[in-house]
Amino acid sequence: MASLERAGTPPRFRFLVALLPLFCGLFCVFLSNIPVSLLGGLVPPPLLGLVPVYFWCLVRPDLMTPAAALVIGVAQDVMSGGPPGVWTLAFVLTYGLVARQRDSFAGLGGLAAVVGFAAAAAFACAVAYVTVAGLALLTLGAHLPTLSPILSQLAMTVLFYVPAVLVVGSLHHKLIGASRGDL
Amino acid sequence: MASAWKIARKSNAQLPLLIVIALAVVLVLLGKAQSGLFDKARAHITDLMAPVLERVRVPAAHFDRWIGSLTEIFSVYEQNLKLKEENARLRQWRNVAIVLEGRVGRYQALLHAVPDPKMNAVLARVIGRANRPFLQTMILDAGRENHALPGQAVVDARGMIGRIYLTGQRTSWVILLTDLNSRIPVTISTSSGSVGNIQAIMAGDNSRMPTLEMVSHTVVLHGGDQVTSSGDGGLLPAGLPIGTVVSDGSGGWRVVLLADAGTSQDVEILNFSKPPEALPANAQLPAEAAGLRPVAPPPPRPSTSPPIPQSALPSAKPKALAKPQAPAAESPADATSPASSDDDAER
Repeated sequence: MASLERAGTPPRFRFLVALLPLFCGLFCVFLSNIPVSLLGGLVPPPLLGLVPVYFWCLVRPDLMTPAAALVIGVAQDVMSGGPPGVWTLAFVLTYGLVARQRDSFAGLGGLAAVVGFAAAAAFACAVAYVTVAGLALLTLGAHLPTLSPILSQLAMTVLFYVPAVLVVGSLHHKLIGASRGDL
Repeated sequence: MASAWKIARKSNAQLPLLIVIALAVVLVLLGKAQSGLFDKARAHITDLMAPVLERVRVPAAHFDRWIGSLTEIFSVYEQNLKLKEENARLRQWRNVAIVLEGRVGRYQALLHAVPDPKMNAVLARVIGRANRPFLQTMILDAGRENHALPGQAVVDARGMIGRIYLTGQRTSWVILLTDLNSRIPVTISTSSGSVGNIQAIMAGDNSRMPTLEMVSHTVVLHGGDQVTSSGDGGLLPAGLPIGTVVSDGSGGWRVVLLADAGTSQDVEILNFSKPPEALPANAQLPAEAAGLRPVAPPPPRPSTSPPIPQSALPSAKPKALAKPQAPAAESPADATSPASSDDDAER
């Protein structure tokens, strides 16, 4: 916050600017979960909500807190319609992984940065799949969900990472960028 | 303001990661035990989004059709020939069906068969689709206001699509037959006709073709056998067309669905509720229909003597056995009716 004060951000906007990563995550969740299929349901929508979580966890972890990741995960659960809590757990655990390996992830650039995000997204999808499979085994017997839809979603998420991170990065530089100096 | 915000951030926002993970795990378990809160939130959000979805639906459908046409443009000629041939065959089947429908109606009238329960249907429009890794659903623009309720079957012109599992005020979510959580009792009409109808459970696994489970190992299915809803459990009407059987190549069987949930635009929500079975009228009971009137039970006499063991009275045994049959043969209304007791007294 001290950096926001130094940057000359009006005090009444500081609160909103600090909540921008959370709002951005919620908007991405909303955007990716609008129940309109443009490709005849051939591919599942990307996990756009994971992009702000990953980005600000690396760039400004003080603004993207674990609680914010939890809220974004809950929103993803509510909007996606799947078993409750699955994406919440996946987002929070992914946040934990990225936060622990922050130096490794933040040091990546170019194609390696995309690979870094792909690894984080793969971890999130794996957590979600294992959770759903566990719940399915508990209630439906030995009937596991097929792997191809979650792999398609992972591929779509990685595909949409570059345009999404460009938008998120642009927002960061325009609205929060002044405070980057104290990272 | 700034100092208050700093204090707030220090005390609340920096929740330890472990606590948040624990919260997420609790949420998974809570959601499994009671997902009502999530369902209400989903229904509420969908209700709010319904006007937007209805506006977006038309351009999205156009775009979807345009994308589809790009892939199909190369096979238009072959498809046209195939459709013409199929149309000619279906016209023949239509004539056969009309003749058979009349014949079945006559047989039902002759046999006094119980007619199929009448169903009300609500016509609804598909305003949203979601093809997610763990959920395959569509959203309809009919909700509780239109008497759509969870459990009701959703069909299009070709066959069954799924069941409603969540209703908002103006919208409903449909769980598709292909969804992982879908389980439908079905009847398989074998083409050989030697075994008659086979009961099974059709289970979705998020693939395009649901699997057939609980099929007896002694039963031999054939590709092309017809699958319809069995109506077991009384949740769904019997006889809804669902699809045809195909082999999955590894000894199991799957169902190719007749309806295509990806392209359906207008669907019907079937309001099926099986009425409670009514007791038959007296005149329809077998004994009365044969001209025999049921024997009324004798009036209870106050027992003053000690009970006599049954073994000592061999002749009393048939009486004791016959006694409970009389009330079973008559309806409860007769047992309390004074007129019936008068008739028995006359006899």
